[in-house]
Amino acid sequence: MPSRTSRRDFLTAGVSAGLLAPLASATPAFGVLKPQSGAAPSSSAIKLSYKTLGRTGLRVTSVGFGCMITSDPSVIERAADLGINYFDTARSYSRGNNERMVGAALGVKRKQIVLSTKTHASDKTGMMQHLDQSLRELNTDYIDIWYLHARSDPAEITDDHIEAQQLAKQQGKVRFIGVSTHSGQPQLIPWMIQKKAFDVVLAAYNFTMDPAMDKAVETASEAGLGVVAMKVMAGGARSHKPGDPIGGKLAQPGAMLSALKWVVKNPNVATTVPSITDMDQLDENLKAMQYAFNAIDAGILTAHLERIRPLYCRMCGACEGKCREGLPVADVLRCLTYADGYGQFALGRERYLELAQAPVRCADCAGCTVDCPHGVHVARRMARAQELFA
Amino acid sequence: MKVAALLLSALLASGSSVAQNLLDCHIAPGWEQSGAIRQFDSGNLFDYKDGGAEGYLIFGFVRMSTIDCKSADSTITIDLSEMTDPDAAYGLFAANLDPNSPISQIGMGGQVQPQSATFAKGNFYVEIVEVSSDANADDSSTLRSMASTLEVRLSGRVTPPAQLRWFPPDNVAPVRMVPESVIGLRELRRGYVAKYQAGQAFIVLEATPESASLVLKSLRLHFPGAVPALVGDEAWIVNAPYLGGICIFRKGRVLAGYVNLPTPQQAATQAAALAGRIP
Repeated sequence: MPSRTSRRDFLTAGVSAGLLAPLASATPAFGVLKPQSGAAPSSSAIKLSYKTLGRTGLRVTSVGFGCMITSDPSVIERAADLGINYFDTARSYSRGNNERMVGAALGVKRKQIVLSTKTHASDKTGMMQHLDQSLRELNTDYIDIWYLHARSDPAEITDDHIEAQQLAKQQGKVRFIGVSTHSGQPQLIPWMIQKKAFDVVLAAYNFTMDPAMDKAVETASEAGLGVVAMKVMAGGARSHKPGDPIGGKLAQPGAMLSALKWVVKNPNVATTVPSITDMDQLDENLKAMQYAFNAIDAGILTAHLERIRPLYCRMCGACEGKCREGLPVADVLRCLTYADGYGQFALGRERYLELAQAPVRCADCAGCTVDCPHGVHVARRMARAQELFA
Repeated sequence: MKVAALLLSALLASGSSVAQNLLDCHIAPGWEQSGAIRQFDSGNLFDYKDGGAEGYLIFGFVRMSTIDCKSADSTITIDLSEMTDPDAAYGLFAANLDPNSPISQIGMGGQVQPQSATFAKGNFYVEIVEVSSDANADDSSTLRSMASTLEVRLSGRVTPPAQLRWFPPDNVAPVRMVPESVIGLRELRRGYVAKYQAGQAFIVLEATPESASLVLKSLRLHFPGAVPALVGDEAWIVNAPYLGGICIFRKGRVLAGYVNLPTPQQAATQAAALAGRIP
């Protein structure tokens, strides 16, 4: 069940401890690129925070490194030198070129870091071929965590897949196994716990998500699943279209760091894998381990949430029975969240078609009788759901 | 022919259903369309490519049309991506190619493998991927035929970006386009990188000589030990962790240089040769 705690409350909770932390921009960028004496910067100069990755027992830095769109190995190399010890890639990134680059960059540091990769192969044979290819490209004889790539529904994980993962474990080619998921986490994570076959979940998780995600992450952590968070910057500014106010907000200096700090402060999340393409981003991300989430961060993220407020249903139930046509408003908006929020169009439409509702088009209604106390534009959102699913 | 191709491109740019004119399973005998042609833009590419969407967006993705074709136990999926410009299309192609396989003369460049073919032409990047019940099947002739037929239907540039020819030719891996933060430095926003036995070279095109000069000055602030060098119109050299011996120079509106060489002096020597190749 979704929590009744509002996202705004959640953002501001626990802020006071970090209230006096310095502004993110107070530290000059590129600090560690300064005067070159020939030696690599010592990680002792950087404050790192560590957490335990669930039942794996691995101690990982709370900020890791998502290598997917990194072009230059020097950034990865430097991150490892600075002490970041969790690096994530996948067989499919740049058709294998990403794994090759990551393997070359990490080189002799391999034993000191936790390395994860993923397979999207559809069967056991394909998975084992992928694994051998990953080992070759990453220039290593073992993978620390091997994920099934991008699953959003338990139906997408077969016994064949799990057998392949277990076999790889028995062969010593992988140490731990997991699933990566961009959507459908509230359904997938409980299934993973019940299955008792997995060690880690790599899940999209950020401050814009429905409170159901907080609960899912908490449940995973309590059950011993290591939680690695991705998409921690809500897609960053890059994924948003030009002119999109959400993109504009996240493009502001410091906003990305605030988003990262919000995830890092969650004790149920062991580490994060933000994409990093250059030294500036690396320096900025490191600050998420140096400075606690504070009131300024909360302000930035709250302002951002204000912008999405007209879209964001908290499932509080206040709209129940308010529609003069008897439409199940909260249920319809939940279906829309599946599609718009989790990228699960098929699931959203399926649930929508299951709802018993009168054949009414909100766009034709003279005046909406539902007034959301949280500011959701109910009539517009209902019309969108009808347009999308009907 | 040219007019028809231009018309199709214009229609594709303006709408969605036109992709049906370009994407057609019958471009190879024995293949039939399965399901409808699907359309994606930057707002919903995630629905199709999941986390992989970022890899497209970073290069300047506009929209994608995709079609599934079936023949017996095999499925071929054709993804036709429209990018912001030909350089972006080539960049995406170069990022995804297998450095151990040859590049084919399809559009600006293509690559055909046993179960996949990719190429870039004009603003378009095309991926043709087969999923077969036989993981070791070699359908490269079918895939090559499909790629060639589709290439004819697309309009646009067929020559790779000019900057590729400026690099000394003894590179050990194909030149790739880096869509942001070339050699890990944010100021170098978009450019090309070539890897050599020793070190790597890069080329970034700025709007004007003046803006290039400003970027060069801005970069130098990060390397306080840098000293001037006689390469191009202006240059400096320095030694730094991770990037080793560095020489970055400006020639007109081009910023270029060498990094990861044992000493800055060696970087300067290589950079001078590179400068000589830049018109």
